Amino acid sequence: MALEFDPAIINKTFEVTDPVEVKADKIKRYCEALGETNPIYTDEEAAKKGPYGGIVAPPSFAVTFRNGRHFFENVPRFGRRGFDAGKDVEFVSPIRAGDQVTLSSHVKEIYEKTGRTGTMVFVVIRSTLKNQKGDVLAHIDHRFMNRP
Amino acid sequence: MSTILDLHTHSEASEDSRAPVEAYLNWIKLKAGERRLDGIVLTEHRQFNRDGDYRALEDKFGTMVLRASEVETNYGHMLVFGVNEDMTRRFDFADIRLDAQTLIDEVARMGGIVVPCHPGRPNIGLYQHYQSKPALNNVVAVEALNGGSRKGEDERSAELIAKHGFAATGGSDSHLVSLIGLCATKFEADIKTIEDLVRELKTGNFEPVDFRPKRKPVPQAVAMESR
Repeated sequence: MALEFDPAIINKTFEVTDPVEVKADKIKRYCEALGETNPIYTDEEAAKKGPYGGIVAPPSFAVTFRNGRHFFENVPRFGRRGFDAGKDVEFVSPIRAGDQVTLSSHVKEIYEKTGRTGTMVFVVIRSTLKNQKGDVLAHIDHRFMNRP
Repeated sequence: MSTILDLHTHSEASEDSRAPVEAYLNWIKLKAGERRLDGIVLTEHRQFNRDGDYRALEDKFGTMVLRASEVETNYGHMLVFGVNEDMTRRFDFADIRLDAQTLIDEVARMGGIVVPCHPGRPNIGLYQHYQSKPALNNVVAVEALNGGSRKGEDERSAELIAKHGFAATGGSDSHLVSLIGLCATKFEADIKTIEDLVRELKTGNFEPVDFRPKRKPVPQAVAMESR
């Protein structure tokens, strides 16, 4: 039987989080945790002379922002079993110290595939990070596998 | 002159692969001493990917890039070669419940050929479906060697081929750069286009080639007392 869902949910934003300020100190602590020593992330003077004219976060910092409280209840489910099938992150613009970052999320795609273990339904939720100017910083595609 | 092609590959156009075509071609160049490959066929999952112009890469690396599709049917996964607009209008390639017999017959009528892939694989291979359903008509060839096969899968494919007299192909089914060309198909003819490939696949005049490194036997454990 073909997969049934309301196509109107595709591309419809279901949640936008409150802005979170990116503090230079938080970037610094993130770098310490990772062992990242590039001064454009941690040293204000060096960063001013760098390509971005100020402190920016390492690209992977994009995944530290939390989705909103209603994120998971808006993830369509097909069947009772499944798992987190990973994330794809597209880094668009640097995240700068002082940015006010929001995440908006929508269902990007729902598709089926078959494999050794049977039929699977994949739900892809795209969370887009933007700063206070509306510039897109990153896209995070969360992929969830459901076993129908 | 013969032609060796990897007939089953996935690039980043497939949702479960992160391999850029350029990286594949570069790897083929690096491994030319171990795996002679004249070209690859991109068989993206559940789609026919027309995007991308690979002519400059073909010239740069001297390796041919052709396009086909891997679709999903009620008899498992199948490679469709010679995809044209008639086929993409007739079938929804994203549908995982395509009727295999209709696909085989219609694709042949429209000038292409369907080759069931990894037939020994559980659930998505022809072998298992043949245990409970009638055999399909007009199957010329199946994929005998698949670079992603697990233990026993290629053996089941060989059993199926011996029983039904299919011609046999090979493909890496690579989703990662370093796996490209591990299995391939050797054609006696010179192949330059997808039309050449379809023509040759219909003749059955080819054989699978296996470039996978041979597994070293697991050393036998020796009891302490016998040392």
